[in-house]
Amino acid sequence: MYEKETLVKNKSGIHARPASVFVKLAKGFSSSITIKNLSCNPVRSANAKSMLNILTLCLVKGTSVSICAEGDDQEAAVEALINLIDSGCGEGLE
Amino acid sequence: MKNIKVEKAFCSGIAVAPAYLYNKTDYTPSLRFIEDVEKELERFNDALKAVMADLGVLAAQNEIFDAHLELAQDPELIEMIASFIRNEKRDAEWALADAITTFSSAFEALDDEYLKARAVDIRDIGGRLMKVLKGEKGSSLSKINKSTIVIAKELLPSDTAQMDFALVKGFITQEGGPTSHVAIIAKSLGIPTLVGVEGITDLVENDDLIALDAEKGEIVIAPDEETLKDFNQRIKEKAEEKEMFLQTATLPSASSDGRLLSVCANVGSLQNIKDALLSHPDGVGLFRTEFLFIDNNRLPTEDEQFEVYKQAALLLGKKELIIRTLDIGGDKPLEHLGIDPEDNPFLGYRAIRLCLDKQDIFRTQLRAILRASAFGNIKIMYPMIVSFDELNEANRIRKACMAELDASGQAYNKDINVGMMIETPASVMLADRFAEHVDFFSIGTNDLTQYILAADRGNPKIANIYDTFDPAVLKSIQTVIDAGHKAGIRVGMCGEFAGNPDALKMLLGMGLDEFSVSPPIIPRVKYMLHKSSYVEAQHIAERVSSCITKDQVKEIIKE
Repeated sequence: MYEKETLVKNKSGIHARPASVFVKLAKGFSSSITIKNLSCNPVRSANAKSMLNILTLCLVKGTSVSICAEGDDQEAAVEALINLIDSGCGEGLE
Repeated sequence: MKNIKVEKAFCSGIAVAPAYLYNKTDYTPSLRFIEDVEKELERFNDALKAVMADLGVLAAQNEIFDAHLELAQDPELIEMIASFIRNEKRDAEWALADAITTFSSAFEALDDEYLKARAVDIRDIGGRLMKVLKGEKGSSLSKINKSTIVIAKELLPSDTAQMDFALVKGFITQEGGPTSHVAIIAKSLGIPTLVGVEGITDLVENDDLIALDAEKGEIVIAPDEETLKDFNQRIKEKAEEKEMFLQTATLPSASSDGRLLSVCANVGSLQNIKDALLSHPDGVGLFRTEFLFIDNNRLPTEDEQFEVYKQAALLLGKKELIIRTLDIGGDKPLEHLGIDPEDNPFLGYRAIRLCLDKQDIFRTQLRAILRASAFGNIKIMYPMIVSFDELNEANRIRKACMAELDASGQAYNKDINVGMMIETPASVMLADRFAEHVDFFSIGTNDLTQYILAADRGNPKIANIYDTFDPAVLKSIQTVIDAGHKAGIRVGMCGEFAGNPDALKMLLGMGLDEFSVSPPIIPRVKYMLHKSSYVEAQHIAERVSSCITKDQVKEIIKE
């Protein structure tokens, strides 16, 4: 298992278009991947390959999240998804 | 016979036809336990494959279904259904119904309007799967084979996808607002429609005769002979009116005694322009650009905007296209634009004020408009100007954009016309001076009335105060027209008042050059102007100018 944390930085959060970009990338990996909203109490988690699931996490700007993957490509998956979030999920940053 | 009165009309028109009551797929699950888990999973997978194949075909035609395709393949949804089947031995319908309810209610509970609306998409997919599982083929709406008025709780994209619109004379739905799917379809096809009619599905039986007047918001179920006669008369009059308007539709806009005028369209999207062109406008007097900034929850790029403005210019050819720069404020808080709710949004941070503060947004839009000006007859219009400082600053930024385009060798119209909206008392007061510095005026009567009379037009308690026929407002309009003409520029009007049948002749007499109105009423405005004499209209305007109450004004124009 491999896990890493970061902050959601793009304006509209992981929402609508950014969420679909995120899900498309996640689906490219064979590992099972979870995304957690660490800013809410209790922490909630979602299947990173499910648009339905991710949207209900309400990952707005400033949310602290962790990506956790388990499988053959776990490291690559986590690094790629963290990178995507850090770069603004295709939306660009402020 | 039963009468129903409705407030919200979304597509006007009159129709009489039998009702077709559209019942949604029955979600009541069978509550059946199964023995053979593998067989049930296979049954569900087969249904899913069939639905995905259908959606694949639809997605090629309409991007709404792209999103549906994505949701239908969602691993969490599929896993939940599979686990209900595997672990609890429920049949596929039962598992599906519970999973759809779980997800759609999770979405409905969210705060975000966009996400809330996704609940409808999830239910739509559930409906599709349920239909296949229950062995129903196609939407029952595809079976419509005679003229009908379709009545439903709500109509989703999948419901209307296979419908023969030539047979649908009207829509009445219990739910939905102006942006609902059915309202948009009805508008683009010109089908009389009322949405948000409470309890309608309980009041109507299949094949009940329905008389629908969407303009007046009237529904009569099983009308008696007299009512029927009345409705048929209305339909006949409407058809005759249409015929009459056709006579002048393609003629140049002018008064009966030859004063040349423009009758233009107010539009808010490319589709609007396409629809408007069917009414032969002289151009677009107001292209609202807000949709570009609201629909996607992010700022549109220069290229995205350029593409839209260019398409618009190409659609219009030589006809004028007045593009209004972003006119938005605290009445529509938008996080990505940095607009927060305000106590007094109409007197606050909005329109040109916002653009001059957030110059990146303004510059991007101006560059896109300028680049598009190489493809047609584009004019720029600034909203809500109150001072020369604002006009000068806006023009300074525009000229800087032009210099950038020159430097990078990009084409644009160097002589582009630049005008301003007159909608504030300040701009009326200084109209004579502003007229020396712009190429045209366009009077926005909705805001001008509200600002001159200090009356919020959304407040029903003071609805009697908000009235464009008030002499104070009319005098402002006359001041602006006179100031414009003295400086040799054209004066138009793009508020609702320009299409008010009671006001038309008076406005003609006041000297208005351009009437920019919503597309469906263009033929009527053109017809009425053709039937009016400018000389007579001037007499009316002159008499109105001495009125001191709005009742006196109304008496004169009713003569």
